Amino acid sequence: MIELINFYLIPGIVLGCIYALGAIGLSLVFGILRFAHFAHGDLLTLGAYFALAVATTLAVPALWALPFAIAATAAAALLLDRLFYQPLRARHSVATVIASFGVALMIRSVVQLIWGPQDRVFESGIRPPLIIGDFRFAERHIYIVAAAAAIITLLHVFLTRTRAGKAMRAMSDEPSLARVSGINTERVVAWTWILAAALLAAGGLFLGIDTQVKPQMGFNLILPMFAAAILGGIGKPYGAIAGGLVVGLAEELATVPIGGTALVPPSYKSAVAFVILVAMLLWRPTGLFRGRVF
Amino acid sequence: MSPELYGLMMYAVGLLTLGGIYAIVSLGLNVQWGYTGLFNLGIAGFFAIGAYASAILTAPEVSSHIAGLRLPVVLGLVVAAAASGIVAYAIGRLTLRLQSDYLAIATIGVGEILRLILKNEAWLTNGALGISAIPRPFEGLPPPWDQFAFLAVVALVIALIYVLLERARLAPWGRVMRAIRDNETAARAAGKDTMRFRLEAFVLGSMIMGLGGGVYAHYVKFISPEAFEPMMTTFIVWVMLVAGGSGNNRGAIVGPLLVWTIWSVTEFATLRLPPEWTTQAAYLRIFLIGLALQIILQKAPRGLLPEPTVLSSVDKEKTAGPRARPSR
Amino acid sequence: MSAILTADGLVGGYGDADVLNGVSLAVESTDIAVIVGPNGAGKSTALKALFGLVKLREGRVTLLGEDITGAAPDAIVPRGMGYVPQERNIFPNLTVHENLEMGAYIRRGDISTAYDRVYSLFPPLAERRRSPAGTLSGGQRQMVAIGRALMLEPRILLLDEPTVGLSPLFIEQIFDRIVEINRAGIAVLMVEQNARYALRLASRGYVLAGGRNRFSGTGPTLLADPEVARSFLGGQA
Repeated sequence: MIELINFYLIPGIVLGCIYALGAIGLSLVFGILRFAHFAHGDLLTLGAYFALAVATTLAVPALWALPFAIAATAAAALLLDRLFYQPLRARHSVATVIASFGVALMIRSVVQLIWGPQDRVFESGIRPPLIIGDFRFAERHIYIVAAAAAIITLLHVFLTRTRAGKAMRAMSDEPSLARVSGINTERVVAWTWILAAALLAAGGLFLGIDTQVKPQMGFNLILPMFAAAILGGIGKPYGAIAGGLVVGLAEELATVPIGGTALVPPSYKSAVAFVILVAMLLWRPTGLFRGRVF
Repeated sequence: MSPELYGLMMYAVGLLTLGGIYAIVSLGLNVQWGYTGLFNLGIAGFFAIGAYASAILTAPEVSSHIAGLRLPVVLGLVVAAAASGIVAYAIGRLTLRLQSDYLAIATIGVGEILRLILKNEAWLTNGALGISAIPRPFEGLPPPWDQFAFLAVVALVIALIYVLLERARLAPWGRVMRAIRDNETAARAAGKDTMRFRLEAFVLGSMIMGLGGGVYAHYVKFISPEAFEPMMTTFIVWVMLVAGGSGNNRGAIVGPLLVWTIWSVTEFATLRLPPEWTTQAAYLRIFLIGLALQIILQKAPRGLLPEPTVLSSVDKEKTAGPRARPSR
Repeated sequence: MSAILTADGLVGGYGDADVLNGVSLAVESTDIAVIVGPNGAGKSTALKALFGLVKLREGRVTLLGEDITGAAPDAIVPRGMGYVPQERNIFPNLTVHENLEMGAYIRRGDISTAYDRVYSLFPPLAERRRSPAGTLSGGQRQMVAIGRALMLEPRILLLDEPTVGLSPLFIEQIFDRIVEINRAGIAVLMVEQNARYALRLASRGYVLAGGRNRFSGTGPTLLADPEVARSFLGGQA
């Protein structure tokens, strides 16, 4: 039981937080811009590398690099939208999806060009885990979960207390009615990208702290992020949080050995998200919390 | 013939051969996307199935995985197409009722699962070590005739597929496909079993992709999961089809040849650079091909050989006003 | 008395086919103007064209004397025209209060009087102001839809079939509210299927068919006209 919690449950929650951060933005982009953003994972990668660059140049602890990483990633997202998605906005969403596929590759190759293909880590040294009773908590895991919770709280405040946040929710609900109410749709689109990028920068930083920073890191997350977003219901940011945790926990818990063998061999861990994804799409595409379907 | 000219000629033959293999795969994608509007992002998976199926059946005995049947290449290719078709059928039954963006996500997942299976089930595929010594037709001939002969095989396959697909396109089957692509609800209202047609297009397209994979395996004689890295394979085929002109079978041949030539030539050019630069150059090329796709999508979405496509038309549902998008 | 809204010879539609083939109307500040006609006559399309949601090939639209032909909704809304679509006219995941807030999105400054007005006009909404709008009943949702548009404190309110799908009790309530809104000084232009009821309230009525005007006059006049009754009001009670 203790091993279950220490080695599967806690990593599952940490991973789930990271998935949630990505899935919220993905769900919002899907709900407001109406297309499946395949470059979402690679934006997370970009966020991680920005954070790494800041942390190493300024020689600060990793978490301090977050504001800079957020600013840089948000700027990048706005630029990408302006250059590659906005010109295709009036067309069928397939065009933007293919474009995002291309943008994903472009981001990854730029990252490899600038920083090279090797793995990198954030300077942190070896820290002893926190031990409470029989439970061990890696220090970084505590930071990650706490920071994720803080960010999500801020997000909640933004979405429910600010005019821009409410306009985003309105546009995600009924875009034409939002237009009819005089809401400036391009402004909301910009806010969507900034928000998604901020969440991704955090997710990338946390993933980098938890594991390492490498060019494939974000792309490897794209299936779980989509699974989480669909599980939570497209356009429902709160659903995406639940979705992220479910997918993260499912991935970890599926590899728990029960009586010798696990439900899913560890080498097939990434298939878990896919199975969840397809199951949701076939059984209940609106997600657990009844989001949009297109 | 001078050695340089000979070298150039062999390079061109290789270019056309591999470009031709990609043309086969593009023709398959064209059936799915161009004819029927199915958004398949799992191309790499079907390509890989075909390659591995043919390789396993024809490769010599090796202790680490199933092999040694040493069946003739033709049979290998037939099984390659069939295997892809069967997998496509199973997946299609499950996922084809999903609509475009969701189908794309599901097919990416499919590609990913297939890649995992190829990497992990070493008893079948030899895992990361790959399958080697795959026989190539006509490899016994003295060079350059062996290469010429293989190129002829590729050209023959393309020709056969082209004729088949053009026939299908002009036949009632093709017309129904286009009707479904352009307005599925209307087609269904007219009494067409749209799911069946979509499934047929999906399976046929995947079979062609599998065939392409088989031909690829026999050409390169060694395959491993690395070769089927989804982003590159799937992505580059999409670029090829978009550049050539989706919906158009000639475009599905011209696009790949053109894009592959550009890709290959730029690779050749970067080989001249000092070695520290070559890896960087590879990433730069990927960046440029991604950028090229964006430019094509924005400026010339119909591709070289245009036919009106979903990619270029304005989405009337989006611009017609608040009521236009039908609720599901 | 000058007209708040005028439309002259509107021709246009979605894509290639024209739905409107020459529609003209005028609404003055005290009017309740009603557009009726058979299905497919282009009534909703006409409304959308006024609001800039449908492309016009010909014709002119003026609001408060200014030409707004072809302007986009977010340019028209600040000029004082509110629009309530027939479908998808609320934000289901936003609370009632947030829906109203979105209605006043473009307004700066104090909008508390606007809230008060809407809540006093529609008391059931005041009780449920924190509920997500999607959880309300059909009639209450329609109140939210109209309330949202009223938050703008517009000069003219466009309504597309405000009573469709409602029970007779609610239909009467909604029409009563519409009359109240008009008495408070807001011009009303609505498309209605409940032709007989609506025309009774109408100070100005337009019968459209085939995308063009067929009859106009005051509501009661149209109701009394045997030709109108025979051709367009059918057997409706």
